[in-house]
Amino acid sequence: MRRKARMQALLLAVLIVFTFINLIPILWGFLISIKQPADAFAIPPRLIFEPTAEFHIDVWVNRGFLSFLLNSAIIAAATVLISVPLGTLAAYGLARTRTKHAGKLLFGLLTIRMFPQILLAIPFFVMARWLGMIDTFSMMVMAMVAMNQPFTIWLMRSFFVDVPVELDEAAMIDGCNRWQAFLRVVLPAVRPGLGVTALFSMLLAYNEFLFALILTGQHTKTLPVAIAEFGGEDINYWSISAAGAIGIMLPAVIFTLLVQRHLIRGLTFGAVKG
Amino acid sequence: MAPSVAVMALVLLYPFGSALYYSFTNYYLGGTNTHFVGLDNYIALLSEQRFWADMLTTMMIVLCSVGLQFVVGLAMALMLYALSGGVRVISLLNFLPHVVTPVVAGIFLKWMFVGRWGLLDATLIALGIFPPDWLGEPLWAKFSVIMADTWKFMPFLMLVLYAGLQSFDTSLLEAAQIDGATPWQRLRHVILPMMKPLILFVLAIRMMDAFRFFDIVYVLTNGGPGTATETITLYTYQLAFRMLEIGRASALGVLTLLVVAGMIVGMILLMQRGGREAI
Repeated sequence: MRRKARMQALLLAVLIVFTFINLIPILWGFLISIKQPADAFAIPPRLIFEPTAEFHIDVWVNRGFLSFLLNSAIIAAATVLISVPLGTLAAYGLARTRTKHAGKLLFGLLTIRMFPQILLAIPFFVMARWLGMIDTFSMMVMAMVAMNQPFTIWLMRSFFVDVPVELDEAAMIDGCNRWQAFLRVVLPAVRPGLGVTALFSMLLAYNEFLFALILTGQHTKTLPVAIAEFGGEDINYWSISAAGAIGIMLPAVIFTLLVQRHLIRGLTFGAVKG
Repeated sequence: MAPSVAVMALVLLYPFGSALYYSFTNYYLGGTNTHFVGLDNYIALLSEQRFWADMLTTMMIVLCSVGLQFVVGLAMALMLYALSGGVRVISLLNFLPHVVTPVVAGIFLKWMFVGRWGLLDATLIALGIFPPDWLGEPLWAKFSVIMADTWKFMPFLMLVLYAGLQSFDTSLLEAAQIDGATPWQRLRHVILPMMKPLILFVLAIRMMDAFRFFDIVYVLTNGGPGTATETITLYTYQLAFRMLEIGRASALGVLTLLVVAGMIVGMILLMQRGGREAI
């Protein structure tokens, strides 16, 4: 037993050291964001300094990141509001039919998800130019819904499959029609799944870069595009840029904490239940 | 179900159809004389040195980073599996790099690798070691990009493989232990064969995603120096959105799709053979 305890302690130590090394890029970004540039560029790296919040305030208030945050939020929220209800309906249908078509359709959806994104970005770009819809929220949301839909359907389907069919049948025997059985009985049973799917879709839309780069402009620019454009080269801007980067990261951290129990299912299209 | 399928058809199949159509034309945004050119775009790309160089770079980055992620991710998963307490906190902390917005991850990593003021250089210089130019030399730039991709995606493999380990029937492992199998033998002959379907599944997902690798490399090197880290996706981006050569870019996208599809088919065949062996 003594030996086992020592093994555990050693294992824990190795894992803690690795975790620390793994998080260094994030920790270092955070340190730059609260340092004056003179401290940030000291060689050897300076660990004792006077922390400051001025760059965090600067980036959000004076550099317009608050409005980019608003753009990101509008796009993410609209994407979730459209793609989750649509995806849920489709997922319910697919989870409850045992025909060959359902399987084919599901596989087709998976294939589309694996497409090189850039191939679909080209026609969206051409279409947006042609319709004069570059730099509009509706174009960006449409593209995001399209890219998200296969994922939403697969993930929601995995939650519906967990609900026994007997539940639908019991509701229908009690006098519900299919639609009522779905709304009153099955949907409440998958509520956690709805939340998880919504959060994952939101994160995908929030993190999206390629589509945002080509479809958004001055009025709809999202946070990832803004931070990528923001003087990464000029070292005088490092502190401000770091403050922006840390701020943009926060929603992702909150997201992780919210969905922690369903992370694996979300990551694998519902194929692996963690 | 019907409305969703209709939406999908409109927003996914229509764009795909048009991209396929563009790939057979000399469509140039800003030009007026668009006409059908047959396979010209494909032939031009396939006889181009840049296409093959980028394909090779992409393949190399995909294979090295997915391989590295898998080894580290599996090691982490096994360690977490052997650990008796604190697993949730450690796995969540290690998962953070994966959820960080990819562009932001690229920026964080740039501050690691960038010349002189990056943490890596600053540390090495302080230790009296002269560091290489991580992002400026072709070979080191490739290394940096591979490390960046590994940092971002190792957590994904770690979590999924850990979940796979947990879903095991432990009696087999115990039996092997009683029979006196060494830890290495247990890994090689019990754990890995049992996890084979899951391993192939996550590797397939990762390889397909790695082919679309864009955000981090865009921020970190933007394909440089020269075209040393230019992936196929970056090249397509340049063609389509910088040079507005829609026809040529679409053809490149279709070629990428074919390569990825070929890879998936290969993986599926491998999986089926694995399945038969298991029976």
